[in-house]
Amino acid sequence: MNWLLIAMRNILRDATRVTSTLLIIAVGLAALLVGNGFMLSTYDSLQEIAMRTEGHVIIIDDNPDPVLGGSHQQLTLSNWQATQEMLWADERVLRVLPRARFEGMISKGNKSAVFFGSGVDPKEEFRVHGPFLRTSGLLDPWLTPQDTPDIMLGKQLAQTLGAVTGDLLTLQTKRSDGTSSELVVRLAGLYYTGTPEIDNHTLMTSLTTATTLLDSNNISQLSIYLNQREDSIAIQQLLQEQLEGVTVQTWQQRAELYHKVRSLYDRIFGIMGLIILIVVFLAVSNTIALAIYQRREEIATLSALGTKPVRIYTNFILEACLIGIAATTIGMLLAYAISNAVNLAELMMPAPPGKTEGYPIFIYISWPHYFITSAVLIITVVVASFIATRNATRVSIVKALS
Amino acid sequence: MNTRLKLDAISKRYGGDKNSITALQDISFTLTEGEFLAIQGPSGSGKSTLLNICGLIDNPSDGDYYLNGISVAQLSISERCTYRRRDIGFIFQRHQLIPAMTVYENIAYPLLLNGVQPKQIKHDVNQLLNTMGLEHRRKHLPKQLSGGERQRVGVARALIKRPQLVIADEPSASLDHQHAHAGLQLMRELNKQYGASFLIASHDAFVIDHCDRKIELLDGQLKASP
Repeated sequence: MNWLLIAMRNILRDATRVTSTLLIIAVGLAALLVGNGFMLSTYDSLQEIAMRTEGHVIIIDDNPDPVLGGSHQQLTLSNWQATQEMLWADERVLRVLPRARFEGMISKGNKSAVFFGSGVDPKEEFRVHGPFLRTSGLLDPWLTPQDTPDIMLGKQLAQTLGAVTGDLLTLQTKRSDGTSSELVVRLAGLYYTGTPEIDNHTLMTSLTTATTLLDSNNISQLSIYLNQREDSIAIQQLLQEQLEGVTVQTWQQRAELYHKVRSLYDRIFGIMGLIILIVVFLAVSNTIALAIYQRREEIATLSALGTKPVRIYTNFILEACLIGIAATTIGMLLAYAISNAVNLAELMMPAPPGKTEGYPIFIYISWPHYFITSAVLIITVVVASFIATRNATRVSIVKALS
Repeated sequence: MNTRLKLDAISKRYGGDKNSITALQDISFTLTEGEFLAIQGPSGSGKSTLLNICGLIDNPSDGDYYLNGISVAQLSISERCTYRRRDIGFIFQRHQLIPAMTVYENIAYPLLLNGVQPKQIKHDVNQLLNTMGLEHRRKHLPKQLSGGERQRVGVARALIKRPQLVIADEPSASLDHQHAHAGLQLMRELNKQYGASFLIASHDAFVIDHCDRKIELLDGQLKASP
């Protein structure tokens, strides 16, 4: 007796209702998979931003600056060159970038603005930021030692000052010994991140210029970029053991936005997933319950012939499984098609809060997620059918056959 | 002849004490091995209720019921299911074939339930299909059969496992005279071949005349003693 074939015939007997149930499951699954693909893509982007901005592993000195403690300016990491050389010897390490953070006032003529600056290795810095830090109006060569030191401004900060590439500007800051420092610099170009808080208030210059301005060889942090992000924890642990008086963190410990967004999305898509599972559960329960009602004579006949209730259960559950498998296959194909269409269409999301620019929608197609989500849905279908088929054994043989 | 079935003062009531309806009252009769017994009576006389009790589909309210000398009146659901699967064959008024099963599968099903080996099932079903002239219909679904063919499949399904007792409820009700006659002839032939006892509820005089013996029910009571 081919029960699978019998289940198929039973499904085809009620093709209209089965089709609607099948579509509910398939569309629900497609929505889950597309949403999940968007979520994964967003997580990946945020991880990438966090890693490119801060590095995979970050060395900082948490001790507050004795004079400027608590401010953006924190130049407490000394003797970092030895650490940098040590790290270059490690084949897992791709780049080691020093960063000196400082703050002060920038002026052009009678226009002034507060700035938060970074002294960096310019070429490497822009290289590691990649597409997340875009530039415009660059002078060539830029941020390299010149007679007049160069800086780059956040696009909005330059607009505030009315500065254009090539203009001379004055930087004023306070050194760690409490004295003031001033330096005339040339605007070598603009950068923008799409985050107004950064583009309105930040500037970058070479570490050499920052060292001259601040009269200190100390830096704020040493950012380590690795060939494989999976090595982050191993490197962090190694450095924490080897280096004294500093704090070594992985990118995850500093990726506040990533964790916040992930927590938010997990909740949103979790609730969405739950709602879809409930819809599927109800749709399948309804289909099976109606099938039981319509086929009560058949159930009664099977019982009269001496069929055990478990066999009757199994027949209905097998039918539900087939519906589930067919629906999830259609759902996966639908999600695959939608994801590819959206990716090819290069649609843009509107700018999120705190940003001035939208970002392209990209939907990941993750087959492990496809199969796991489908398996969860099939389990839901089986559970729903199992609960619904309990009614099948309550069918009175006498009443159904009379 | 051994007694196949014995009913001893069987009653069946529906509903509570105050508003109860008596469907059967004090029914007693016996059925011997290989006997063909007709239960006659108008609609609502209690024929189907009696068949349900004899077929272990329903429990009596009072009285005792013996199948092959064993009291089976108050068995559990599971025990009744086992008896039905093993010892009782049913021929239903509307045939009640399983729509998603082919003719072959419908007939083979009782054997499958009884754990018969696939090879034996194939042999037995093919033999019966031949006997009943249904070989050419083996792969057809019930909806593709005529009324007479459906009845023959229903009879074959009831007899394939060689049950000790066959319960037939109005087996000719949905058939014309020609098919009803053929169906009855078939049951008699198989009755001789397999030795099953038949309990047939009918108000078709033709069917009743072809039985060994008849009992008559009126308002839930036995009118003529066996």
